[in-house]
Parts: sequence; C-alpha cells; structure tokens
Amino acid sequence: MSRAVRSGARRARLPRGEGPWAWLAAGSVALSLLLLGGLLTLIAVSGLGHFWPASVSLLELDDGRQLAGRAVRELPLPEGEGRERLYFTGNRDLDGQVWHWLAVERIAASERPPELVVLERRRFGDFIGRLVAVVPADRVQAAAAAAAADEPEAWAALGSRLDALEALRAERETLRRGVILPLVRQLEADPEDRAARRELAQANARARVLAAAMQGEVAILESVDGRRLVQPLDEVLRAWRPNAMSLPEKLGAWSRGLWRFLSEGPRAANTAGGVWPAIFGTVLMVLLMSVVVTPFGVLAAVYLNEVAHQGRLTRWVRIAVRNLAGVPSIVYGVFGLGVFVYGIGGSLDEWFFDEQLPSPTFGTGGLLWASLTLALLTLPVVIVATEEGLARIPVHQREGALALGATRLEMLARVVLPMAVPAMLTGVILAIARAAGEVAPLMLVGVAKLAPQVPVDGEFPFLHLDRKFMHLGYHLYDTAFHGDDVQAAMPVVYATALLLVLVVLVLNLTAIFMRHHLRARHGALPRH
Amino acid sequence: MIAPPPAPPSSRSPWRRVVDRLATGLIAAGGIGVIVALLAIGAFLALEVLPALLSGSLSREQVVASLTPLAWGTLKAAFWALVFAIPLALGAAIHSAAFMSQRLRSRLKPTLELMEALPGVVIGFVAGLVLAPWVERHLAGALALLLVLPPGALLAGGLWRCLPTPLRRRLPLAWAGLWLVPWLALLGLAALTLAPALEAGWFAGDLRGWLDRELGLDYASRNALIVGLAMGFAVMPSVYALAEDALSGVPASLGEGAQALGASRWQTLWKVVLPTAAPGIFAAVMIGAGRAVGETMIVLMASGNTALMSLSPLEGMRSMAAGIAIELPEAVPGSDPYRLLMLAALLLFLFTFLVNTLAEAVRDRLRRRYRRLGGGA
Repeated sequence: MSRAVRSGARRARLPRGEGPWAWLAAGSVALSLLLLGGLLTLIAVSGLGHFWPASVSLLELDDGRQLAGRAVRELPLPEGEGRERLYFTGNRDLDGQVWHWLAVERIAASERPPELVVLERRRFGDFIGRLVAVVPADRVQAAAAAAAADEPEAWAALGSRLDALEALRAERETLRRGVILPLVRQLEADPEDRAARRELAQANARARVLAAAMQGEVAILESVDGRRLVQPLDEVLRAWRPNAMSLPEKLGAWSRGLWRFLSEGPRAANTAGGVWPAIFGTVLMVLLMSVVVTPFGVLAAVYLNEVAHQGRLTRWVRIAVRNLAGVPSIVYGVFGLGVFVYGIGGSLDEWFFDEQLPSPTFGTGGLLWASLTLALLTLPVVIVATEEGLARIPVHQREGALALGATRLEMLARVVLPMAVPAMLTGVILAIARAAGEVAPLMLVGVAKLAPQVPVDGEFPFLHLDRKFMHLGYHLYDTAFHGDDVQAAMPVVYATALLLVLVVLVLNLTAIFMRHHLRARHGALPRH
Repeated sequence: MIAPPPAPPSSRSPWRRVVDRLATGLIAAGGIGVIVALLAIGAFLALEVLPALLSGSLSREQVVASLTPLAWGTLKAAFWALVFAIPLALGAAIHSAAFMSQRLRSRLKPTLELMEALPGVVIGFVAGLVLAPWVERHLAGALALLLVLPPGALLAGGLWRCLPTPLRRRLPLAWAGLWLVPWLALLGLAALTLAPALEAGWFAGDLRGWLDRELGLDYASRNALIVGLAMGFAVMPSVYALAEDALSGVPASLGEGAQALGASRWQTLWKVVLPTAAPGIFAAVMIGAGRAVGETMIVLMASGNTALMSLSPLEGMRSMAAGIAIELPEAVPGSDPYRLLMLAALLLFLFTFLVNTLAEAVRDRLRRRYRRLGGGA
C-alpha cells in the first residue's frame, strides 16, 4: 500500500494500481457471479436435458457380453488408471437393476443401430432393446416361435397400436369422469334411483369392454443379449427409436416430454412422470396466501405510516416488524402447528366435525393452515414494502388533498393509496416469491408426499381447505431424499428444481422491475 | 402523520366526518390487530414452554442433554456459513462501493438479489446430492479450488500491472467483477486437472486416507464444510446488500477529502470509509448470522443430520431448525419431546429477534450519523 502512495504521483495519468486487496475484492464479486452462474447452468442443463431423447449405444464388452444403454456420466476409476462410465440400461424386469458402471477400456465396440427401441412403461421403468413383433395376446406362442422378425413392419404396427390405446384410454377417462362418477354420486344421494343404477351398469360394462380391448395386444421384445420378453401393450406409455430420429424429431419429442412433465401426475413413487399436482398445489396455496396477506399487510402498513402517532413506540414496532422478516421460517411453522393446527383446528373439529373424531378434519395439516402460516410469514415483507412506498409519496401530496377539504379517509383512498399501488404489488410479489420457495414450515402444517386428490374438484364445497396438498419444493425434497433409487429420480428432481427456480426468479424479476419503475416515477425522496 | 386542519363546518357534512372517524378507527384496529398477531408468535412459544420449565416437568438435565448437540450443530453450521459468506460478501460490497463502474453496479445488485431469492430447498439439493458426492470423490480437486481461487485474483492483479496500457484501459478495475469471471473459471479448471497429479505427489494419491492417518480426521460425505459453502452462498447476498448500503451511504465528502489529501482509493476505503461504516457492516454480519442460524432446508439436506458434537469441519451435525423439521410432526402435543422442540423454536426466535433488533438499532444510529456528517459538510 505504501508503495502505491509513493509511486502515486508518478502514475497519476495511468489507471492507478490499487494494491492486492482491491483485486481480492474484485475476485470475490467474480467468484459470486461464477457460483451463481454455475448453479443456474447446472440446474438448467440437467433439468432440460432430462427430456431429450438421448441416443442409445449398443456396446460389446471384451468378454463378448452385449449391452444397450445410454451413457450418463464418466468418472476416473477410484483406484488405478482409466475411467469408468455409467450407463442407464433399463430393463429392470430382466436384469433387476437399471444402472451399469463399465470401465471404458472393457468396451470393445460401440455402435448406434437405428432399430433399438426405448419403451416407457408403467411398471419396471424403461425397456431398451429390439422390437420383434406386435401380436394379439392369444397368439404369443406362435409368434414367439417365428424367429426372424420384420422389424420396420413391427415398428409401424406398434406406433398405430399405441395411438389406438391412447384413444381408448382417453375414452375410458371421459367415461369415468363424465358418466360413472356423477352416477355414483347420484346413487350415494339416492340409493333407490333405478334409472341411474341401470345407466351405471351400462357404463361399467362399456368400461370393461374398453379395458378388455386395451389388454388385447402384446409386444414381443428382445433385449440386445437375446432374452425375450412379452410386454402387454396396455402398460406401454410411449415408444421411440432415438438413434433413428432426426434433430427436428428429437426437438419435437423433447418439447412433448416437457409438456407431459408439466401436465401429468407423478408415477413410480414420484420418480417418474410429471409434477402437475405439485404445481397446482403450490399455485393454489400461494393464491390463498396472497388473498389473506394483501389486505392485512396493507392495513398494517397504512396504520403504521399514516394513522399511528409517529413516536418512539411506533419506531420500535416498525423495527420489530422488520425483524420478524428475519425470524426463521421454521419458527413460523411451529407457530402454525401449535396455534392453527392443534389449537384452532382441534377446536373446530370438536365443535363441527365431532362425528368424525378421532380422525381429524381440520386438526391436522391442510391447505388452509399452510396458507395462513405462510401469510403470517410473508406479512412483514408486504408491510415493509408498502410502508416504503407510502413513505416515498411526497408530503405535499397529502397536504394538497387536505387543503382542498378532503377528510383523512378520502386523502388516503384517492391520493395516497393509488400512488402506493406499485409498492404494494412489489410487496405482494416478493411475498409470493418467498412463499413459493419456502418448504420448512410446510413440512409441519400440511404438505403431502403424494396427494391423490387435488384440493379443488366438482364435489361440494369445491375448494377443500382441509385437504393436504402437494408442493413443488417439498416434492423436490422428498423425491431427492426419501426415494429408493435416488439416481433414477435425479432427472425428475433436477427438472422440478429448475421449475421452482424459474417460478421464483420470474416473480422476483417482476418485483425488481416494478420497484425500478416506482423509483423512476417518484424519484429517490427522503423519508418524511 | 398529518392531522387534518380544522375545516370550516360548512365544507364537511357530518356524515363524511363520521365515515372518516369510523374508517380511521377500523384501520387502527386492523393494523394493531395484525401487528399483535405477528408479535404473538413469541408469546405463544413462551407460553408453551415456560410453564413446563417453571413447574419442573422438564428437568434441567433433560433440556441440557437434548438441546446441547442441536445448539452445537446450529452454531457450527452458522460459523462455517459465515466463514464462507463474510469474505465473499464484504469483498463484493467493498468492490462495488469503491471501485465498480456505476453501470455494472446497478446490474449487480438485482443479480445478487435474485441469488438471495433462490429457494433453500434447491440449494440444499444441489449441496447434498451433487456437491457432496462430487467433493467426496474429488477431495483434492475441491481443496485445490479453494486454495487457487483467492491467489488467482491476486495473480490477475499482478499480471494486469504488467499489461500494456491500451489493454489495461480495455480491462479496467471498474469492470473487474465481470472480466475476472472467465479468468477464475479457467484457473479453476486448471486446478481441477492438476489436482490428481498433486494428490499423487503429496498425499500418496489418497487425500482422505492421508487426512485419516495424519490428522485423525474422519471424512463424512455430508459435512460442515459442504453445509457452510451452501449456506454461505445463501447468506452472502443479504450480507452484501446491507454492507453495500452502509458503505455507499458514507457521505461522499469524507472520501473526497481523503483523496484530495493524496490517498489512493483503497487507502480512502480502509482508513476513512470502512471505520465510518463499521457499525453498518457489523449489522450486516449479524443479520447474516441470524439467517444462517435459522436456515432449515439447506442444513436438513446437506448435513447428514446426526447429532454429533465434534469440532471437525469434515463431520456432519444436526441443527435446531432441522431437528424441529424432522421431529415435530411426529411429536405428541403436550409431551416432553414436543415441549423440548418448542423450547428449541423459542431459542431460535429469541436469538434471531435479538440479533436482528441489535443490528437494526445499530443501522438506525448509523443512518442518523450519516445524515449528521453529510449535513455538516
């Protein structure tokens, strides 16, 4: 440093050196950006890559064994030279496992034959291998005996059969939702209704016909090492031949996969399928929360800034409210559990739902309590943001309104509050962003690993506040840490993480832009 | 705030006055209600815990035995988080307050705000399931990264002084936060490639074995360093934001005076700006500590959750927040474990509330001091 001073005069014209510490400080900015960028890139690449129909390699090992799978990653061997590669080989029903670590040097040959198929199945996960034939279920023996298969023809048949199955499934679903369920509800209300009973019997018969039609066909599959497998087509969800797909086809498959992830429910203990119920639960919970938090937060802020006497007590209350934003979220969760769930919920059960006790209705975690807990958690955020907006409004605006004869209420409602709307919205958006990412308190007050019923349906009262719900953040935690095969769940976990990060970042960006807009409009005015 | 002036009676109908009174009363009642509800959190926790403590149904030994490991784990996790977060945050705050170009600074602040908003569950997942296994496998590489990056920034400074002037103007210190990113990434990659060779040379190819033999350190995959790194990442933006506010709030006249007397920017910063802003920086660190103590998901996912009481940074721990999240849903209301967890929540609440209040009071005084200094100049 002293050197910098002595030579300072000489170097005055040049950009001056600032000594080592300045560079360390610059380095810490760069390092933070690097960490942030690295984290976001990792999540984005892994999350989006999950939907890409990656090519499948056919490997021949040095001992003559054959294997088909897609390479997942490569690492140096724990001891000795060389590297090993992890392959996802599928076929849990044949091999008992879906992962293979292979030393790279043991791979004698690797190629990508176009006829390899990948089937996504309801049970046992993916199949990777060859398609032999698609036949009716009663002719399996005969077809299996026929050795040589006409591969392109079987593939075309598989495609058309899967489409037909998809149509059958859709028909069954509309039948179940549109006819059977309403009839069942009708019969529950009035068990004597003969016409309904007859209709229900007809619909059930139709459903049975559909189910039989679905089970009519099987695919004969062959793994690359020659083992045969008879696969009922009913359990096959999708089939593709990644090595034969062109880039546009892969892009199409990728976007369809992305859409399915967003629109379908989870399968296979949350390790596959989509996250639609979790998205729905998160959005619904956050909406309920903002309905509660907005009026109360604004009310408290208006009181603190416009009505209360600005003395020492108000200053302390203001500091206390600010500090509540820093109280750990888990403490709010404890409060929610103790007061809302056990306290209020328990009393509600005793008063209104005592016929269902001891199984609790509101005395257990649920949508309502989760929303209220998060509303409490985010109240300080809304209060602080709204107060900031109110304090920015120049005093002469208020004075002008009062001088023109407005009462305090009119001044607030027509002059002050409209000007503070962007600040309120900023606060609410920040609150939503915080609530969308918060998991710890939800674990105490009502999130579920798997909620078969979403909290909104056609049954009275339509919005079921007492039900448990799924949440993106908790889905992520649970799938990542409580699954049987974490490795297999990783793609879904990454995709969920990406979705969560995107939601939170978009909300925050909106808040930042609104605040910027607000500052530009009112300028940086000093408080009071 | 502003009392309505007494208006001539003709300008206001009594109806309007009644509505106004009523609405003001409602706003006051609602506002007070909301604030009381918020403050009731502390009261509720105290009510749940204190009777049991005072009546002796929770014995002293029981409380000490069950809460000490949790408190230890909490403090250990927070300590390592701060070890990572403070240098990063203060360095970034100093750089952006003193050296950074105004344009970059106005972009950097929202970026780091976004970093603060990243959900803990995502950071915890990456730390626990991606970073922890990777570090376990590449321990030497991770160590090399930690050792290479700080001198790497210094090396950049050294090389920069040797650059020809036109190039130096192209890469000004004001934008160093940005153009150092690829440089550090490059150095990091180099460190990772060289690490196995160095490990083979110095630690006989097995750093973990060496740690075990020579230092007696047991390596757990999910350990305090991983938690510290992840939580440091989460805490750093809030410390940065507050410290940067404190530093850039120092009246410009002070810094200008020092520079007019011939001090370099760094000397100005070190001798004039930092001492003035020290309380604000202290407050920033306190608030960071409060966040680190209360953070749940990251510790839950990256610490292994074994209630150990070891000093070693390479072993896991269990924090109070994580303990509450795991055990409270199963605890029977009113039972001893339930009350103990409530006590843990009360302690967390009190600790963060006190720390934040202290920090807020310090910031409040600092703000008034700045106003005085700025006004007097």
